[in-house]
Amino acid sequence: MIEVEHLSKSYGPHPAIEDVFFTVEPGEILGFLGPNGAGKTTTMRILSGYLPASSGTARVAGYDVHTQSMAVRQRIGYLPENPPLYNDMTVLGYLHFVARIKGVTAGDRRKQVDLAIQQCSLETETQTLIGRLSKGFRQRVGLAQAIVHNPPVIILDEPTVGLDPRQIMEVRNLIKGLAGNHTIILSTHILPEVSMTCDRVAIINHGKIVATDAPDTLMEELIGRLGYAVEVGGMSQLLTQKLMAISGVREVQVEEIPDSAHTRLQITCHGEMEPGSAIANAIIKSGCQLHEMRRTRPTLEDVFLELTTEEEPLPTAEAAIDKTDADDPELIVDP
Amino acid sequence: MTLLANIFAIFRKELQSYFLSPLAYVVAGLFWLLSGIVFVYLLLSPNGIIQEVAIGEQSGIPMPPVDVAYIFLLRYLGIIGSLTSFVIPLLSMGLYAEERRNGTLELLATSPLTNWAVALGKLLGVLMFYITLLIPMLVLELVAFAAADPPVPPAVPLLAHLGLILLAAALLSLGMFLSSLTQSNIIAAILTFVLVLLLAIMDLVGRQLGQPFEGAIAHVSLIKHYENLVQGIFDSSSLWVFASYIFLGIFLTAQSIEILRFQRS
Repeated sequence: MIEVEHLSKSYGPHPAIEDVFFTVEPGEILGFLGPNGAGKTTTMRILSGYLPASSGTARVAGYDVHTQSMAVRQRIGYLPENPPLYNDMTVLGYLHFVARIKGVTAGDRRKQVDLAIQQCSLETETQTLIGRLSKGFRQRVGLAQAIVHNPPVIILDEPTVGLDPRQIMEVRNLIKGLAGNHTIILSTHILPEVSMTCDRVAIINHGKIVATDAPDTLMEELIGRLGYAVEVGGMSQLLTQKLMAISGVREVQVEEIPDSAHTRLQITCHGEMEPGSAIANAIIKSGCQLHEMRRTRPTLEDVFLELTTEEEPLPTAEAAIDKTDADDPELIVDP
Repeated sequence: MTLLANIFAIFRKELQSYFLSPLAYVVAGLFWLLSGIVFVYLLLSPNGIIQEVAIGEQSGIPMPPVDVAYIFLLRYLGIIGSLTSFVIPLLSMGLYAEERRNGTLELLATSPLTNWAVALGKLLGVLMFYITLLIPMLVLELVAFAAADPPVPPAVPLLAHLGLILLAAALLSLGMFLSSLTQSNIIAAILTFVLVLLLAIMDLVGRQLGQPFEGAIAHVSLIKHYENLVQGIFDSSSLWVFASYIFLGIFLTAQSIEILRFQRS
């Protein structure tokens, strides 16, 4: 339903997004996760047809967002970062206006507006001037505006920002309720939001996509995978080979510690296997000294931080596990 | 069909927003007050046109017959034209600047509407509000002209007011373009006011320069064409000049919004 390929956009010499790619299947909710300033809003704006891309293509429902802008605009509902509201209109008047400019026919308008009001729980505020609404209600009017014409594709830029926890739950439930009939892409910088609402997640950082997967798979793959941080003395090439031969070891990264005879090893394991004792044995048997060894298991936040603070564009298991969980030392050997 | 519906939707929203805006009422109030004072002054004051004619008749000097209603219309609409030039920047300033500041331009730009439809709808909305400003004035005029003897032929005041509306439409259209250049109402109003002044200065300078410049500038001067219509001189070239200014304003607005989207950071 949404296909984005090699999408780039720069403001002057500064690239906002580079080679962004992802697809969203019909009826799916894609979470677009990234820290502030990563290029989420830029991508959303390009998808909505508001901004032209510098290069690359984005297609919504088979139409190019730039060359077939009108066809795309008819098929999307878009909630920008700041809800586009007229403060001097009532909620009802505003939604009728939006329905009109989105091309809802006069016969359906009332029904559609009523439905949007009901879906966003705005029944009590229909006659209130938008300028007098609280932040939470403004956000909900913004959401109602995006769904009032029942568009097949809904683009939501930070839909839960500024809401209190109860409102956040309501909005998330609303979004989940819309899935199936609608294809939804929503951006957020809140990690748990993605795992709660989305079918799939694309992580963006410094304008580049660093990972795309189902949130569960992504988190399981990255979090569930154990690793060991080991500090040894008398490192040799042979040791690396021996370690790699141990069942369950996936990768060994070697890093010299400056001004020291010690070497730091980052050992990544497959799945939930725990070859800790085998690793320790291998090190001792090969005549190296084992100075420190601890198990590493990155938390959800660590994964996110790691993916989004590294300059490296591709997420690798090593990168994720690089972050160690120092609170959980399994084994410290200091001869 | 959808195009018309879109233009109408924008028109309606825009017109509604003027009727909900306190500033618009302040502007309307001032406009009515000033136009009322001018009306009474021109007609009834010791320096007014009725006194003038009366003194002329009393002095016994033979004078050609004076069409009081016509001369009044010339003077009155001349002043209303100037007053309009002051009011226009206040009406047009928010047309796009407000949308840009509020972020609602993003809604319009991502809805299935062309920039042209939005600009045209907005222009029609603000023009309609301006026309409603004229209604109390028209009532005063109706009262005055009803008393005129011989009766005033309706074509002359009709043409004059058409001129006034066309002048306002042209200035509003250019003001709308200037409003699309900024997020600030104040800057938009100042820019528009400067433009109105420049147009007036151009007209004045043109009259001082003599031929051939005078003729050339008169051809494109909004003020000159407005005067012609008020005097009852109907020339289709006047309509074309007004239409060109209106079109220019809408065209520049549509382009400016398009460019804005390309530059947006």
